[in-house]
Amino acid sequence: MSKLVFAKPSKIKKVRKLLPSLAVVAIYLALPIMGLSGFWIDVLTRVNIFLLITLSLDLYSGTTLYLNLGVPFTVGASAYAIALLNRYLGIPVEYAILPSAAISAVLSFAIFIPSLRVRGAYFSILSLLLPIILAGLVTSQPFSLYLGGEGGISYPPLFFSYARTLPARERLFFLSASYFYISAAVAIVAYVICYKVAYSDFGFMMRSIGQDELLAEASGIDTFRVKLVGFTASSFLSAVAGALYAAMRPPVTADVFIPANTLVPSLTAVILGGMGTVVGPAIANHLTLITYEVLWGVLGRWRIILYMCLLIVLVLLRPQGFVFYLYLRLKRAVSTKISRLFEGA
Amino acid sequence: MGKLLICDNVTKRFGGLVAVNRVSVEVSRGELLGLIGPNGSGKTTLVNLISGVLAPDEGRVLFEGRDITKLKPHERVALGISRIFQGMRVYPYLPVYYNVELSARSVFKDAKLARSKTIWALTTTKLLAETLELPANLTPYKIKMVELARALVTNPKLVLLDEPFAGLSPEEVSEVIEIVRKLNGNGLTFIIVEHKLRYLMKIVGRVVVLNEGRKIFDGAPSEAVNNEEVSRVYFGVV
Repeated sequence: MSKLVFAKPSKIKKVRKLLPSLAVVAIYLALPIMGLSGFWIDVLTRVNIFLLITLSLDLYSGTTLYLNLGVPFTVGASAYAIALLNRYLGIPVEYAILPSAAISAVLSFAIFIPSLRVRGAYFSILSLLLPIILAGLVTSQPFSLYLGGEGGISYPPLFFSYARTLPARERLFFLSASYFYISAAVAIVAYVICYKVAYSDFGFMMRSIGQDELLAEASGIDTFRVKLVGFTASSFLSAVAGALYAAMRPPVTADVFIPANTLVPSLTAVILGGMGTVVGPAIANHLTLITYEVLWGVLGRWRIILYMCLLIVLVLLRPQGFVFYLYLRLKRAVSTKISRLFEGA
Repeated sequence: MGKLLICDNVTKRFGGLVAVNRVSVEVSRGELLGLIGPNGSGKTTLVNLISGVLAPDEGRVLFEGRDITKLKPHERVALGISRIFQGMRVYPYLPVYYNVELSARSVFKDAKLARSKTIWALTTTKLLAETLELPANLTPYKIKMVELARALVTNPKLVLLDEPFAGLSPEEVSEVIEIVRKLNGNGLTFIIVEHKLRYLMKIVGRVVVLNEGRKIFDGAPSEAVNNEEVSRVYFGVV
Protein backbone atom coordinates (compact mmCIF):
# COMPACT_ATOMS: atom_id res chain seq x y z
CA MET A 1 0.00 0.00 0.00
CA SER A 2 2.85 2.35 0.80
CA LYS A 3 4.01 1.84 -2.77
CA LEU A 4 0.61 2.95 -3.92
CA VAL A 5 0.89 6.19 -1.96
CA PHE A 6 4.40 7.09 -3.03
CA ALA A 7 4.50 5.61 -6.53
CA LYS A 8 5.67 8.38 -8.86
CA PRO A 9 4.66 8.43 -12.53
CA SER A 10 7.52 8.06 -15.01
CA LYS A 11 8.89 11.16 -16.79
CA ILE A 12 7.32 10.12 -20.11
CA LYS A 13 3.93 9.78 -18.43
CA LYS A 14 4.38 13.17 -16.78
CA VAL A 15 5.17 14.87 -20.10
CA ARG A 16 2.31 13.01 -21.77
CA LYS A 17 -0.03 14.26 -19.04
CA LEU A 18 1.16 17.83 -19.52
CA LEU A 19 0.82 17.79 -23.32
CA PRO A 20 -2.79 19.01 -23.55
CA SER A 21 -2.17 21.84 -21.07
CA LEU A 22 1.03 22.89 -22.87
CA ALA A 23 -0.82 22.89 -26.20
CA VAL A 24 -3.56 25.14 -24.80
CA VAL A 25 -0.97 27.54 -23.35
CA ALA A 26 0.96 27.59 -26.66
CA ILE A 27 -2.20 28.43 -28.66
CA TYR A 28 -3.13 31.09 -26.12
CA LEU A 29 0.30 32.71 -26.37
CA ALA A 30 0.17 32.61 -30.18
CA LEU A 31 -3.14 34.52 -30.33
CA PRO A 32 -1.66 38.06 -30.76
CA ILE A 33 0.56 36.97 -33.67
CA MET A 34 -2.33 35.03 -35.22
CA GLY A 35 -4.15 38.29 -35.94
CA LEU A 36 -6.27 38.76 -32.83
CA SER A 37 -7.65 42.31 -32.72
CA GLY A 38 -6.15 44.92 -30.41
CA PHE A 39 -9.38 45.04 -28.41
CA TRP A 40 -9.24 41.32 -27.63
CA ILE A 41 -5.53 41.43 -26.87
CA ASP A 42 -6.33 44.13 -24.30
CA VAL A 43 -9.17 42.02 -22.90
CA LEU A 44 -6.86 39.01 -22.52
CA THR A 45 -4.23 41.19 -20.84
CA ARG A 46 -6.82 42.29 -18.28
CA VAL A 47 -7.91 38.66 -17.86
CA ASN A 48 -4.26 37.64 -17.23
CA ILE A 49 -3.93 40.30 -14.55
CA PHE A 50 -7.21 39.24 -12.95
CA LEU A 51 -5.82 35.71 -12.89
CA LEU A 52 -3.23 36.93 -10.37
CA ILE A 53 -6.01 38.23 -8.10
CA THR A 54 -7.98 35.02 -8.58
CA LEU A 55 -4.94 32.90 -7.70
CA SER A 56 -4.23 35.13 -4.73
CA LEU A 57 -7.78 34.64 -3.42
CA ASP A 58 -7.75 30.93 -4.13
CA LEU A 59 -4.37 30.39 -2.48
CA TYR A 60 -5.44 31.91 0.82
CA SER A 61 -9.24 32.08 1.01
CA GLY A 62 -9.78 28.95 -1.11
CA THR A 63 -7.71 26.81 1.24
CA THR A 64 -8.08 28.37 4.71
CA LEU A 65 -11.68 29.50 4.01
CA TYR A 66 -10.83 32.86 5.56
CA LEU A 67 -12.54 35.07 3.01
CA ASN A 68 -10.18 37.97 2.33
CA LEU A 69 -12.38 40.84 1.19
CA GLY A 70 -9.46 43.22 1.57
CA VAL A 71 -7.99 42.35 -1.84
CA PRO A 72 -9.00 45.78 -3.26
CA PHE A 73 -6.91 47.38 -0.52
CA THR A 74 -3.80 45.46 -1.60
CA VAL A 75 -4.45 45.98 -5.32
CA GLY A 76 -5.20 49.67 -4.82
CA ALA A 77 -2.25 50.28 -2.54
CA SER A 78 0.22 48.92 -5.11
CA ALA A 79 -1.50 50.83 -7.94
CA TYR A 80 -1.22 54.08 -5.99
CA ALA A 81 2.36 53.22 -4.99
CA ILE A 82 3.30 53.04 -8.70
CA ALA A 83 1.66 56.40 -9.36
CA LEU A 84 3.20 58.08 -6.31
CA LEU A 85 6.70 56.69 -6.94
CA ASN A 86 6.44 58.06 -10.47
CA ARG A 87 4.96 61.43 -9.60
CA TYR A 88 6.96 62.35 -6.49
CA LEU A 89 10.22 60.42 -6.97
CA GLY A 90 10.30 60.33 -10.75
CA ILE A 91 10.76 56.54 -10.87
CA PRO A 92 9.61 55.19 -14.27
CA VAL A 93 6.82 52.60 -13.95
CA GLU A 94 9.11 49.94 -15.46
CA TYR A 95 11.25 50.10 -12.30
CA ALA A 96 8.41 50.81 -9.89
CA ILE A 97 6.40 47.60 -10.39
CA LEU A 98 8.24 45.32 -7.97
CA PRO A 99 8.92 47.99 -5.29
CA SER A 100 5.23 48.97 -5.42
CA ALA A 101 4.12 45.37 -5.06
CA ALA A 102 6.52 44.94 -2.12
CA ILE A 103 5.29 48.15 -0.45
CA SER A 104 1.67 47.05 -0.81
CA ALA A 105 2.38 43.51 0.46
CA VAL A 106 4.21 44.90 3.51
CA LEU A 107 1.36 47.39 4.13
CA SER A 108 -1.23 44.62 3.89
CA PHE A 109 0.84 42.42 6.17
CA ALA A 110 1.16 45.19 8.78
CA ILE A 111 -2.48 46.23 8.63
CA PHE A 112 -4.07 42.79 8.46
CA ILE A 113 -1.88 41.11 11.06
CA PRO A 114 -4.28 41.88 13.95
CA SER A 115 -7.22 40.53 11.95
CA LEU A 116 -5.39 37.20 11.39
CA ARG A 117 -5.79 36.53 15.11
CA VAL A 118 -9.58 36.58 14.91
CA ARG A 119 -11.45 33.58 13.58
CA GLY A 120 -14.21 33.08 11.07
CA ALA A 121 -16.35 35.90 9.69
CA TYR A 122 -14.66 38.59 11.79
CA PHE A 123 -11.61 38.45 9.53
CA SER A 124 -13.78 39.03 6.45
CA ILE A 125 -15.59 41.95 8.08
CA LEU A 126 -12.33 43.60 9.11
CA SER A 127 -10.77 43.04 5.69
CA LEU A 128 -13.81 44.54 3.93
CA LEU A 129 -13.61 47.79 5.88
CA LEU A 130 -10.06 48.74 4.96
CA PRO A 131 -10.50 49.34 1.20
CA ILE A 132 -13.57 51.48 1.95
CA ILE A 133 -11.57 53.60 4.40
CA LEU A 134 -8.75 53.99 1.89
CA ALA A 135 -11.11 54.94 -0.96
CA GLY A 136 -12.57 57.62 1.34
CA LEU A 137 -9.12 58.94 2.24
CA VAL A 138 -7.98 59.14 -1.39
CA THR A 139 -10.93 61.32 -2.38
CA SER A 140 -11.03 63.50 0.76
CA GLN A 141 -8.98 66.57 1.59
CA PRO A 142 -6.17 66.98 2.46
CA PHE A 143 -5.11 63.58 1.02
CA SER A 144 -6.88 64.18 -2.29
CA LEU A 145 -4.46 67.06 -2.98
CA TYR A 146 -1.57 64.58 -3.07
CA LEU A 147 -3.44 61.51 -4.32
CA GLY A 148 -5.25 63.08 -7.25
CA GLY A 149 -8.77 63.05 -5.81
CA GLU A 150 -11.58 61.74 -8.04
CA GLY A 151 -9.53 62.21 -11.21
CA GLY A 152 -6.67 60.04 -9.94
CA ILE A 153 -3.01 60.30 -10.85
CA SER A 154 -1.80 60.12 -14.43
CA TYR A 155 1.67 59.11 -15.68
CA PRO A 156 3.26 57.58 -18.79
CA PRO A 157 2.38 53.86 -19.04
CA LEU A 158 4.80 50.94 -19.24
CA PHE A 159 7.24 51.08 -22.23
CA PHE A 160 5.69 54.36 -23.39
CA SER A 161 9.05 56.09 -23.89
CA TYR A 162 10.19 53.27 -26.21
CA ALA A 163 6.82 53.03 -28.00
CA ARG A 164 7.06 56.71 -28.89
CA THR A 165 10.11 55.95 -31.03
CA LEU A 166 8.10 53.48 -33.16
CA PRO A 167 6.00 54.38 -36.22
CA ALA A 168 2.44 55.31 -35.20
CA ARG A 169 0.76 52.18 -36.69
CA GLU A 170 3.18 49.84 -34.87
CA ARG A 171 2.96 51.69 -31.58
CA LEU A 172 -0.42 50.40 -30.42
CA PHE A 173 0.30 46.81 -31.44
CA PHE A 174 3.65 46.92 -29.66
CA LEU A 175 2.09 48.18 -26.43
CA SER A 176 -0.84 45.73 -26.57
CA ALA A 177 1.32 42.71 -27.45
CA SER A 178 4.06 43.49 -24.93
CA TYR A 179 1.46 44.01 -22.16
CA PHE A 180 -0.19 40.75 -23.11
CA TYR A 181 3.07 38.76 -23.04
CA ILE A 182 4.28 40.31 -19.78
CA SER A 183 0.96 39.70 -18.06
CA ALA A 184 0.79 36.16 -19.48
CA ALA A 185 4.35 35.34 -18.36
CA VAL A 186 3.69 36.63 -14.83
CA ALA A 187 0.36 34.78 -14.72
CA ILE A 188 1.94 31.48 -15.84
CA VAL A 189 4.75 31.74 -13.27
CA ALA A 190 2.21 32.67 -10.57
CA TYR A 191 -0.02 29.76 -11.57
CA VAL A 192 2.80 27.20 -11.38
CA ILE A 193 3.93 28.53 -7.97
CA CYS A 194 0.37 28.60 -6.60
CA TYR A 195 -0.30 25.08 -7.84
CA LYS A 196 2.90 23.78 -6.23
CA VAL A 197 2.16 25.56 -2.95
CA ALA A 198 -1.52 24.58 -2.81
CA TYR A 199 -0.66 20.88 -3.20
CA SER A 200 2.41 20.94 -0.95
CA ASP A 201 2.48 20.07 2.75
CA PHE A 202 2.13 23.78 3.47
CA GLY A 203 -0.92 23.94 1.20
CA PHE A 204 -2.48 21.01 3.04
CA MET A 205 -1.79 22.77 6.33
CA MET A 206 -3.74 25.76 5.01
CA ARG A 207 -6.56 23.40 3.99
CA SER A 208 -6.55 21.83 7.46
CA ILE A 209 -7.19 25.30 8.93
CA GLY A 210 -10.16 25.68 6.60
CA GLN A 211 -11.57 22.32 7.64
CA ASP A 212 -11.03 22.48 11.41
CA GLU A 213 -8.74 25.13 12.83
CA LEU A 214 -8.92 23.90 16.43
CA LEU A 215 -8.04 20.39 15.33
CA ALA A 216 -5.16 21.73 13.25
CA GLU A 217 -3.79 23.67 16.22
CA ALA A 218 -4.18 20.70 18.55
CA SER A 219 -2.50 18.44 15.97
CA GLY A 220 0.69 20.46 16.14
CA ILE A 221 0.18 22.96 13.32
CA ASP A 222 1.18 26.53 14.14
CA THR A 223 -1.97 27.91 12.58
CA PHE A 224 -1.10 31.58 13.10
CA ARG A 225 2.24 31.18 11.30
CA VAL A 226 0.63 29.24 8.44
CA LYS A 227 -2.06 31.93 8.06
CA LEU A 228 0.56 34.66 8.21
CA VAL A 229 2.81 33.14 5.53
CA GLY A 230 -0.16 32.21 3.33
CA PHE A 231 -1.71 35.65 3.66
CA THR A 232 1.55 37.45 2.88
CA ALA A 233 2.21 35.32 -0.22
CA SER A 234 -1.38 35.84 -1.35
CA SER A 235 -1.14 39.61 -0.73
CA PHE A 236 2.04 39.81 -2.78
CA LEU A 237 0.21 38.24 -5.75
CA SER A 238 -2.63 40.77 -5.47
CA ALA A 239 -0.09 43.53 -5.12
CA VAL A 240 1.72 42.44 -8.31
CA ALA A 241 -1.66 42.45 -10.08
CA GLY A 242 -2.35 45.99 -8.88
CA ALA A 243 1.10 47.21 -9.87
CA LEU A 244 0.93 45.61 -13.34
CA TYR A 245 -2.55 46.95 -13.99
CA ALA A 246 -1.58 50.45 -12.90
CA ALA A 247 1.62 50.33 -14.98
CA MET A 248 -0.35 49.42 -18.11
CA ARG A 249 -3.55 51.43 -17.57
CA PRO A 250 -3.02 54.92 -16.17
CA PRO A 251 -4.52 56.92 -14.54
CA VAL A 252 -4.97 55.32 -11.12
CA THR A 253 -8.24 56.37 -9.50
CA ALA A 254 -10.12 55.48 -6.31
CA ASP A 255 -12.25 53.09 -8.42
CA VAL A 256 -9.55 50.49 -7.83
CA PHE A 257 -10.71 50.21 -4.20
CA ILE A 258 -14.29 49.36 -5.18
CA PRO A 259 -14.87 45.62 -4.58
CA ALA A 260 -17.18 45.36 -7.62
CA ASN A 261 -14.25 46.32 -9.85
CA THR A 262 -11.38 44.50 -8.21
CA LEU A 263 -12.79 41.70 -6.08
CA VAL A 264 -16.09 40.40 -7.46
CA PRO A 265 -14.80 39.00 -10.81
CA SER A 266 -12.07 36.99 -9.08
CA LEU A 267 -14.25 35.93 -6.17
CA THR A 268 -16.81 34.62 -8.66
CA ALA A 269 -14.09 32.72 -10.52
CA VAL A 270 -12.84 31.15 -7.28
CA ILE A 271 -16.33 30.00 -6.29
CA LEU A 272 -17.33 28.73 -9.73
CA GLY A 273 -13.93 27.14 -10.27
CA GLY A 274 -13.92 25.16 -7.02
CA MET A 275 -12.23 26.72 -4.01
CA GLY A 276 -8.67 25.65 -3.34
CA THR A 277 -8.27 23.67 -6.56
CA VAL A 278 -6.16 26.36 -8.36
CA VAL A 279 -6.87 24.83 -11.80
CA GLY A 280 -10.62 25.39 -11.54
CA PRO A 281 -10.49 29.08 -10.51
CA ALA A 282 -7.80 29.76 -13.15
CA ILE A 283 -9.99 28.34 -15.94
CA ALA A 284 -13.12 29.98 -14.48
CA ASN A 285 -11.27 33.32 -14.39
CA HIS A 286 -10.72 33.19 -18.14
CA LEU A 287 -14.16 31.75 -18.95
CA THR A 288 -16.16 34.27 -16.91
CA LEU A 289 -14.21 37.38 -17.90
CA ILE A 290 -14.09 36.52 -21.62
CA THR A 291 -17.81 35.61 -21.58
CA TYR A 292 -18.49 38.96 -19.95
CA GLU A 293 -16.79 40.75 -22.84
CA VAL A 294 -18.54 38.61 -25.47
CA LEU A 295 -21.91 39.46 -23.90
CA TRP A 296 -21.16 43.16 -24.40
CA GLY A 297 -21.51 42.78 -28.15
CA VAL A 298 -24.76 40.82 -27.80
CA LEU A 299 -26.57 42.47 -24.91
CA GLY A 300 -24.95 45.87 -24.38
CA ARG A 301 -25.63 47.21 -20.89
CA TRP A 302 -28.04 44.35 -20.14
CA ARG A 303 -25.03 42.07 -19.89
CA ILE A 304 -24.36 43.07 -16.26
CA ILE A 305 -27.85 42.08 -15.13
CA LEU A 306 -27.91 38.84 -17.12
CA TYR A 307 -24.36 37.92 -16.17
CA MET A 308 -24.94 38.48 -12.46
CA CYS A 309 -28.24 36.53 -12.55
CA LEU A 310 -26.44 33.67 -14.31
CA LEU A 311 -23.73 33.66 -11.67
CA ILE A 312 -26.30 33.65 -8.86
CA VAL A 313 -28.02 30.62 -10.42
CA LEU A 314 -24.70 28.78 -10.88
CA VAL A 315 -23.56 29.52 -7.33
CA LEU A 316 -26.92 28.40 -5.93
CA LEU A 317 -26.99 25.22 -8.00
CA ARG A 318 -23.43 24.20 -7.27
CA PRO A 319 -21.84 26.17 -4.42
CA GLN A 320 -18.77 23.92 -4.47
CA GLY A 321 -18.05 25.05 -8.04
CA PHE A 322 -18.17 23.06 -11.23
CA VAL A 323 -15.30 24.13 -13.51
CA PHE A 324 -12.74 21.94 -11.72
CA TYR A 325 -14.94 18.86 -12.09
CA LEU A 326 -15.56 19.59 -15.78
CA TYR A 327 -11.80 20.03 -16.18
CA LEU A 328 -11.13 16.65 -14.55
CA ARG A 329 -13.60 14.93 -16.86
CA LEU A 330 -12.16 16.60 -19.93
CA LYS A 331 -8.61 15.84 -18.83
CA ARG A 332 -9.44 12.17 -18.31
CA ALA A 333 -11.01 11.93 -21.76
CA VAL A 334 -8.08 13.69 -23.47
CA SER A 335 -5.47 11.64 -21.54
CA THR A 336 -7.17 8.40 -22.58
CA LYS A 337 -7.12 9.48 -26.23
CA ILE A 338 -3.45 10.49 -26.08
CA SER A 339 -2.49 7.22 -24.35
CA ARG A 340 -4.27 5.29 -27.10
CA LEU A 341 -2.43 7.34 -29.74
CA PHE A 342 0.94 6.53 -28.15
CA GLU A 343 0.05 2.86 -27.73
CA GLY A 344 -1.03 2.73 -31.37
CA ALA A 345 2.29 4.25 -32.43
CA MET B 1 10.59 7.82 38.37
CA GLY B 2 10.00 11.55 37.77
CA LYS B 3 6.53 12.89 37.15
CA LEU B 4 5.71 13.40 33.50
CA LEU B 5 2.79 15.76 34.06
CA ILE B 6 1.80 17.87 37.02
CA CYS B 7 -1.38 19.92 37.13
CA ASP B 8 -0.85 22.21 40.08
CA ASN B 9 -4.06 23.70 41.50
CA VAL B 10 -5.48 24.53 38.08
CA THR B 11 -8.70 26.51 37.91
CA LYS B 12 -10.80 27.41 34.89
CA ARG B 13 -13.83 29.63 35.01
CA PHE B 14 -16.41 30.32 32.29
CA GLY B 15 -18.13 33.48 33.52
CA GLY B 16 -19.66 32.54 36.86
CA LEU B 17 -19.17 28.79 36.34
CA VAL B 18 -16.07 27.21 37.82
CA ALA B 19 -15.49 24.30 35.40
CA VAL B 20 -12.25 23.15 37.06
CA ASN B 21 -11.67 24.16 40.65
CA ARG B 22 -8.12 23.96 42.08
CA VAL B 23 -7.46 20.50 40.68
CA SER B 24 -4.05 18.93 41.19
CA VAL B 25 -3.11 15.76 39.32
CA GLU B 26 0.26 14.09 38.91
CA VAL B 27 0.95 11.55 36.18
CA SER B 28 4.03 9.32 36.10
CA ARG B 29 5.81 8.12 32.97
CA GLY B 30 4.26 4.98 31.52
CA GLU B 31 1.10 5.38 33.58
CA LEU B 32 -2.39 4.66 32.29
CA LEU B 33 -4.68 7.06 34.12
CA GLY B 34 -8.47 7.14 33.93
CA LEU B 35 -10.27 10.44 34.31
CA ILE B 36 -13.93 9.97 35.17
CA GLY B 37 -16.86 11.90 36.53
CA PRO B 38 -20.46 12.78 35.73
CA ASN B 39 -21.34 15.00 32.78
CA GLY B 40 -20.19 18.58 33.35
CA SER B 41 -17.70 17.56 36.03
CA GLY B 42 -14.79 19.24 34.19
CA LYS B 43 -13.04 16.25 32.59
CA THR B 44 -12.85 17.67 29.07
CA THR B 45 -11.99 21.11 30.43
CA LEU B 46 -9.06 19.56 32.30
CA VAL B 47 -7.94 17.80 29.11
CA ASN B 48 -8.20 21.15 27.30
CA LEU B 49 -6.06 22.77 29.98
CA ILE B 50 -3.41 20.06 29.64
CA SER B 51 -3.39 20.18 25.82
CA GLY B 52 -3.37 23.99 25.74
CA VAL B 53 -6.71 24.48 24.01
CA LEU B 54 -7.70 26.47 27.11
CA ALA B 55 -5.49 28.52 29.43
CA PRO B 56 -6.06 28.17 33.18
CA ASP B 57 -7.18 31.19 35.19
CA GLU B 58 -5.09 29.97 38.11
CA GLY B 59 -2.51 27.26 38.72
CA ARG B 60 0.22 25.75 36.56
CA VAL B 61 0.71 22.85 34.21
CA LEU B 62 4.17 21.25 34.28
CA PHE B 63 5.39 18.75 31.70
CA GLU B 64 8.70 16.97 32.36
CA GLY B 65 9.36 19.60 35.01
CA ARG B 66 8.85 22.51 32.61
CA ASP B 67 6.11 25.06 33.10
CA ILE B 68 3.96 24.83 29.95
CA THR B 69 1.00 26.85 31.25
CA LYS B 70 1.43 29.59 28.65
CA LEU B 71 2.39 27.38 25.71
CA LYS B 72 0.04 27.07 22.74
CA PRO B 73 -1.41 23.70 21.71
CA HIS B 74 1.01 23.21 18.80
CA GLU B 75 3.98 23.94 21.07
CA ARG B 76 2.75 21.30 23.51
CA VAL B 77 2.42 18.80 20.66
CA ALA B 78 6.07 19.44 19.81
CA LEU B 79 6.99 18.74 23.44
CA GLY B 80 5.14 15.41 23.38
CA ILE B 81 1.51 15.96 24.38
CA SER B 82 -1.10 14.86 21.88
CA ARG B 83 -4.80 14.27 22.15
CA ILE B 84 -7.93 13.03 20.50
CA PHE B 85 -11.13 15.01 20.89
CA GLN B 86 -14.50 13.98 22.23
CA GLY B 87 -16.66 12.83 19.30
CA MET B 88 -15.30 12.32 15.79
CA ARG B 89 -12.91 15.08 14.78
CA VAL B 90 -10.98 14.67 11.55
CA TYR B 91 -10.38 16.79 8.44
CA PRO B 92 -13.44 15.78 6.39
CA TYR B 93 -12.04 16.62 2.94
CA LEU B 94 -8.55 15.22 3.32
CA PRO B 95 -7.71 11.53 2.73
CA VAL B 96 -6.71 9.44 5.72
CA TYR B 97 -3.05 9.69 4.78
CA TYR B 98 -3.01 13.50 4.91
CA ASN B 99 -5.14 13.54 8.05
CA VAL B 100 -2.22 11.80 9.73
CA GLU B 101 0.77 13.08 7.77
CA LEU B 102 -0.01 16.76 8.38
CA SER B 103 0.55 16.31 12.11
CA ALA B 104 3.82 14.50 11.42
CA ARG B 105 4.99 17.31 9.12
CA SER B 106 4.20 19.91 11.75
CA VAL B 107 6.60 18.24 14.18
CA PHE B 108 9.24 16.62 11.97
CA LYS B 109 10.99 18.97 9.57
CA ASP B 110 12.47 15.99 7.68
CA ALA B 111 9.86 14.90 5.12
CA LYS B 112 11.19 11.33 4.94
CA LEU B 113 11.00 10.93 8.70
CA ALA B 114 7.47 12.35 8.68
CA ARG B 115 6.46 9.83 6.01
CA SER B 116 7.96 6.87 7.84
CA LYS B 117 6.26 7.98 11.09
CA THR B 118 2.98 8.27 9.19
CA ILE B 119 3.33 4.77 7.80
CA TRP B 120 4.16 3.50 11.30
CA ALA B 121 1.09 5.21 12.81
CA LEU B 122 -1.16 3.90 10.02
CA THR B 123 0.24 0.39 10.50
CA THR B 124 -0.24 0.53 14.27
CA THR B 125 -3.86 1.57 13.85
CA LYS B 126 -4.43 -0.90 10.98
CA LEU B 127 -5.34 1.81 8.49
CA LEU B 128 -2.96 1.02 5.64
CA ALA B 129 -5.79 -0.23 3.46
CA GLU B 130 -7.67 3.06 3.86
CA THR B 131 -4.88 5.60 3.27
CA LEU B 132 -6.54 7.15 0.23
CA GLU B 133 -10.10 7.11 1.59
CA LEU B 134 -11.93 10.21 2.74
CA PRO B 135 -13.26 10.06 6.31
CA ALA B 136 -16.84 10.13 4.98
CA ASN B 137 -16.27 6.60 3.61
CA LEU B 138 -15.05 5.20 6.92
CA THR B 139 -16.86 3.52 9.83
CA PRO B 140 -16.88 5.31 13.22
CA TYR B 141 -14.28 2.81 14.44
CA LYS B 142 -11.95 3.58 11.54
CA ILE B 143 -12.41 7.32 12.12
CA LYS B 144 -11.40 6.77 15.76
CA MET B 145 -8.33 4.98 14.44
CA VAL B 146 -7.52 7.96 12.19
CA GLU B 147 -7.70 10.19 15.26
CA LEU B 148 -5.50 7.82 17.21
CA ALA B 149 -2.99 7.60 14.34
CA ARG B 150 -2.92 11.40 14.18
CA ALA B 151 -2.21 11.54 17.91
CA LEU B 152 0.52 8.91 17.71
CA VAL B 153 2.35 10.20 14.66
CA THR B 154 3.95 13.15 16.48
CA ASN B 155 5.98 10.80 18.70
CA PRO B 156 4.15 11.76 21.90
CA LYS B 157 5.12 11.00 25.48
CA LEU B 158 1.60 11.63 26.75
CA VAL B 159 -1.63 10.91 24.88
CA LEU B 160 -4.96 12.33 26.05
CA LEU B 161 -7.91 10.24 24.88
CA ASP B 162 -11.28 11.93 25.34
CA GLU B 163 -13.99 9.25 25.21
CA PRO B 164 -12.20 6.88 22.84
CA PHE B 165 -14.82 4.13 23.23
CA ALA B 166 -17.86 6.29 22.46
CA GLY B 167 -19.96 4.94 19.59
CA LEU B 168 -17.96 1.72 19.25
CA SER B 169 -19.16 -1.88 19.51
CA PRO B 170 -17.71 -4.15 22.24
CA GLU B 171 -15.44 -5.83 19.66
CA GLU B 172 -14.16 -2.48 18.45
CA VAL B 173 -13.59 -1.29 22.02
CA SER B 174 -11.52 -4.45 22.61
CA GLU B 175 -9.38 -3.61 19.59
CA VAL B 176 -8.81 -0.05 20.84
CA ILE B 177 -7.89 -1.44 24.27
CA GLU B 178 -5.46 -3.87 22.66
CA ILE B 179 -3.68 -1.03 20.82
CA VAL B 180 -3.60 1.19 23.93
CA ARG B 181 -2.22 -1.65 26.07
CA LYS B 182 0.47 -2.43 23.50
CA LEU B 183 1.57 1.22 23.29
CA ASN B 184 1.45 1.59 27.06
CA GLY B 185 3.57 -1.54 27.31
CA ASN B 186 6.16 0.29 25.21
CA GLY B 187 6.21 3.12 27.75
CA LEU B 188 3.66 5.56 26.33
CA THR B 189 1.62 7.41 28.96
CA PHE B 190 -2.16 7.78 28.58
CA ILE B 191 -4.88 9.79 30.25
CA ILE B 192 -8.25 8.38 29.25
CA VAL B 193 -11.54 10.19 29.80
CA GLU B 194 -14.35 7.66 29.48
CA HIS B 195 -17.89 6.92 30.57
CA LYS B 196 -17.78 3.21 29.71
CA LEU B 197 -16.33 2.25 33.08
CA ARG B 198 -16.51 -1.53 32.66
CA TYR B 199 -13.91 -1.24 29.92
CA LEU B 200 -11.91 1.61 31.42
CA MET B 201 -11.50 0.05 34.84
CA LYS B 202 -9.94 -3.05 33.26
CA ILE B 203 -7.04 -1.18 31.70
CA VAL B 204 -6.19 1.79 33.91
CA GLY B 205 -3.91 1.56 36.91
CA ARG B 206 -5.35 4.63 38.61
CA VAL B 207 -8.43 6.79 38.34
CA VAL B 208 -9.06 10.42 39.14
CA VAL B 209 -12.70 11.29 39.76
CA LEU B 210 -14.01 14.82 39.22
CA ASN B 211 -17.31 16.25 40.35
CA GLU B 212 -18.48 19.82 39.74
CA GLY B 213 -14.93 20.81 38.84
CA ARG B 214 -13.33 19.40 42.00
CA LYS B 215 -11.21 16.31 42.41
CA ILE B 216 -13.01 13.96 44.77
CA PHE B 217 -10.94 10.81 44.37
CA ASP B 218 -7.48 9.75 43.24
CA GLY B 219 -6.51 6.09 43.59
CA ALA B 220 -6.87 2.52 42.39
CA PRO B 221 -9.98 1.62 40.32
CA SER B 222 -11.08 -1.00 42.87
CA GLU B 223 -10.99 1.62 45.65
CA ALA B 224 -12.95 4.08 43.52
CA VAL B 225 -15.82 1.65 43.16
CA ASN B 226 -16.00 1.25 46.95
CA ASN B 227 -15.55 4.96 47.72
CA GLU B 228 -18.69 6.44 49.27
CA GLU B 229 -18.51 9.88 47.63
CA VAL B 230 -17.67 8.45 44.21
CA SER B 231 -20.54 6.00 44.49
CA ARG B 232 -22.91 8.80 45.43
CA VAL B 233 -22.03 11.32 42.75
CA TYR B 234 -21.11 9.00 39.94
CA PHE B 235 -22.85 5.69 40.35
CA GLY B 236 -25.95 7.25 41.90
CA VAL B 237 -25.76 5.04 45.02
CA VAL B 238 -27.24 6.84 48.04
